[in-house]
Amino acid sequence: MAAQSQGPGRSKAQREFVSEAEELLERMQSNLADLEDQGEDGSEVDPELVNGLFRAAHSLKGLAGMFGHEAIATLSHHLENALDALRLGRATLGPTMVAVLRESAAEFGELLGGLGDAEAEEAAAPKIADLVVRIEAACEGEAPAEEGLDALALDPTLLRALTEYEEHRLRENLRRGRTILLVEATFEILSFDEGLAELGRAVREVGELISTLPSPGEAPESQIRFALLLASDVDADTLRSRLDFPHVSVRRVSDGAATAAPATPAPVDTSAVKPAEAPPTGTAEVSAVAESESPSPPPPSEDVPTPADGAEIESLRSISETVRVDIRKLDELMNLVGELVIQRSAIESVARRLMDEPGTARVGAELGKIYQGLDRKLRELQAGVLEVRMVPLRQVFEKLSRVARRLRRDLGKEVRLELNGADTELDKLIVEQLVDPLMHVVRNAFDHAIETPDERTAAGKDPEGSIRLDAYQRGNHVVIEVIDDGRGIDPDRIRARARELGLVSADQPISDREAFDLLFSAGFSTRTEVTATSGRGVGMDVVKANLTSFGGIVDLESVLGRGTKVTMTLPTTLAIIQALIVGAGDQTYAIPLTSVLETLVVEAGEIQKSDGRELMNLRGEALPLRRLTEEFELAPSPADSNNEFVVVLGLGGSRLGLVVDRLLGQEDAVIKPIQGPVTDVPGIAGATELGDQNAVLVLDITTFIEDVHRRKEAA
Amino acid sequence: MSESTSASPTDARWDDLARGASISREGEDVELIQELLSFDVGETAYAVPIERVREILRMRPITPVPRVPAIINGVISIRGEVVEVIDLRRRFDLSPTEPDRRTRIVVIHGFDGRVTGCMVDRVREVLRVPEAEILPSAEADADTVTGLCKRGDEFISLLDLDKVLDIQS
Repeated sequence: MAAQSQGPGRSKAQREFVSEAEELLERMQSNLADLEDQGEDGSEVDPELVNGLFRAAHSLKGLAGMFGHEAIATLSHHLENALDALRLGRATLGPTMVAVLRESAAEFGELLGGLGDAEAEEAAAPKIADLVVRIEAACEGEAPAEEGLDALALDPTLLRALTEYEEHRLRENLRRGRTILLVEATFEILSFDEGLAELGRAVREVGELISTLPSPGEAPESQIRFALLLASDVDADTLRSRLDFPHVSVRRVSDGAATAAPATPAPVDTSAVKPAEAPPTGTAEVSAVAESESPSPPPPSEDVPTPADGAEIESLRSISETVRVDIRKLDELMNLVGELVIQRSAIESVARRLMDEPGTARVGAELGKIYQGLDRKLRELQAGVLEVRMVPLRQVFEKLSRVARRLRRDLGKEVRLELNGADTELDKLIVEQLVDPLMHVVRNAFDHAIETPDERTAAGKDPEGSIRLDAYQRGNHVVIEVIDDGRGIDPDRIRARARELGLVSADQPISDREAFDLLFSAGFSTRTEVTATSGRGVGMDVVKANLTSFGGIVDLESVLGRGTKVTMTLPTTLAIIQALIVGAGDQTYAIPLTSVLETLVVEAGEIQKSDGRELMNLRGEALPLRRLTEEFELAPSPADSNNEFVVVLGLGGSRLGLVVDRLLGQEDAVIKPIQGPVTDVPGIAGATELGDQNAVLVLDITTFIEDVHRRKEAA
Repeated sequence: MSESTSASPTDARWDDLARGASISREGEDVELIQELLSFDVGETAYAVPIERVREILRMRPITPVPRVPAIINGVISIRGEVVEVIDLRRRFDLSPTEPDRRTRIVVIHGFDGRVTGCMVDRVREVLRVPEAEILPSAEADADTVTGLCKRGDEFISLLDLDKVLDIQS
């Protein structure tokens, strides 16, 4: 990501652009299809569809502008204008408009397909010019007559605060003969957002919520009043009875309500005409209808957004409720938090030193208290920043669905892709790095695992194949399983291929499990021979390398003729980890706590030897051991006791005991990559800075566990 | 602390300006000045272009890294960044010595915007050397030295940093 501005990153950026643009285009097309369906019989069209189209065109324009794709930017710019006119009622949705929208969408598809092809781009220019002219033409035509909204029994300041879009929706609903209702509610300032959101949900069930505005009515100091303008087919009394809110008023403002006396306050309102008593829990407060009509004049106009301001804010808000942030900015934030964490540890050690001295014990204790407060807040901050980085797998899943659709078309196979757990969240960085390997595994399943419909029928299977993705959280990890019901992998073929490649000696027995593991080894190219027949294994070494690079692991099980399951276990976050600090020789290391199952104190006699390797009995199971001092060729520290420490590491189904000299406690660690000529050190995931501001190496547990695996296989 | 990782277009423009400024008024003899940081490793004086130097640090605790070539002393933490330190004595096949109070770590911009620390015995000064005065390396097969410049009676070897830092193989 850091290399994005440099040369080699560009093609990746382009790919990124195409994938995002395709996503937008897809949304556009599906909205367009719905729009055509709805508009067919001349009936009313859901305004959200037009809004959706408008947002998609707007985003596409921004995206294309950012990546310098002028043709797409131009076309989407005009499309955005047309859709804006449409949603504001300045243009009508006739057959010409629909046709031009459809053609524009098709043109986007072609432009995306021919991206980077100068000839195609040149050929597209006149087409775009033509489309632009036709879009403009479709926008013209008689604008619908503007009916006055003065007939509504509405406070003029409120009316002025409406955006053009909201006014248009108001007119549109009046034209359709709907009742316009004004719902007013008072909330505690501290908790109004929740109450307001709840009320908004409730009124949306019975109609279209046109606008939510701060109400000009008077509210006590700590409270805030809102007016919700609603178009509905129900009348005020029905709505009032439906709203399960104790202190909300509903008033009809359309259909000559202006001349009528203020609507009769509902019983609920009269019971609560004493606004002085603020409710204890900050729920919605009384707002008698009479109040809004009372002699108290509306506050000076600066209290209410002026029409211009309001319109701007409102139109921005309507585009998106989320903010796109460059992940690098989040990285910077994360680094800052990381540095604060280090400072915090430094403060702690100063506080401890002060407390240990009788003369400064009191100051030390005070500093200790401050440290604790800081510690709490810092944890919240850390959690907050981490939270921001978390994104659901949904985006990746959507990409997979698109790829699946294409594969289904291209391969002529009937495959059902089922995706479960789209809400499972992972660090954005991990999600990004996950896309390629996951795509690869799913593609493999499509390409090689699932048989043709004929083959499936012959094998007595459902002609439609199935690929299922299950994502779920397990402890500190996220597990993604890709399960197909295809032909499975024949371990004999892997064995044969491995011997052919000289990966294993001819007489060496290989279990099925070990055979499947071999699929992941770097030299195991199955590209031609095995894939066509045995189902899987293309580039699985790449998948594994990708996952390992961020601490994930991959596992494969298969039953011949029945199917294959690929399991990926991923850490949820990369940025800050809880680490176990251990000492070996004269060195200190950090071990990610997520892979630590337990720590044991063992006496020298408990460690046994088998075949030159150490192991110990852990509740009846043999736990292979590795000594960190030996692995890293450290000068052994003088044995000061008979006890040694074993850190039991687990990843996937594998276990390993790491023998260390000292256990030094737990710390929050921000893993930093090591910069320099040698970046890939086996066994080291990176480094972190602890309180003393020296670099401490963070162990890469996967390397150790794999090493044990390898030796087991080689044995 | 400016941490410009790679030469941005603006930097390039500044270089041009600087170069332009160093051209003598008459425009007759165009003289390009190179600024070099000179330092000692063992008995030899070396120099590197100043724009490749990010900062110079006093000796600080170095965390050894296992399973890497011995040339790499280990890593240090610079304001949260973790940076490898290579021992230039070992790089030039000298025996390592105990760091003393003159030992420095020269932090160099490497490729990819990554930085590397180079441990040297002593940092000397910044030299301003006209490019015309830089001589080709005396040895045809000189691997890491791209040229020589003369200061008084002494020759200073200009290092090709990319070759110095290329120790993967």
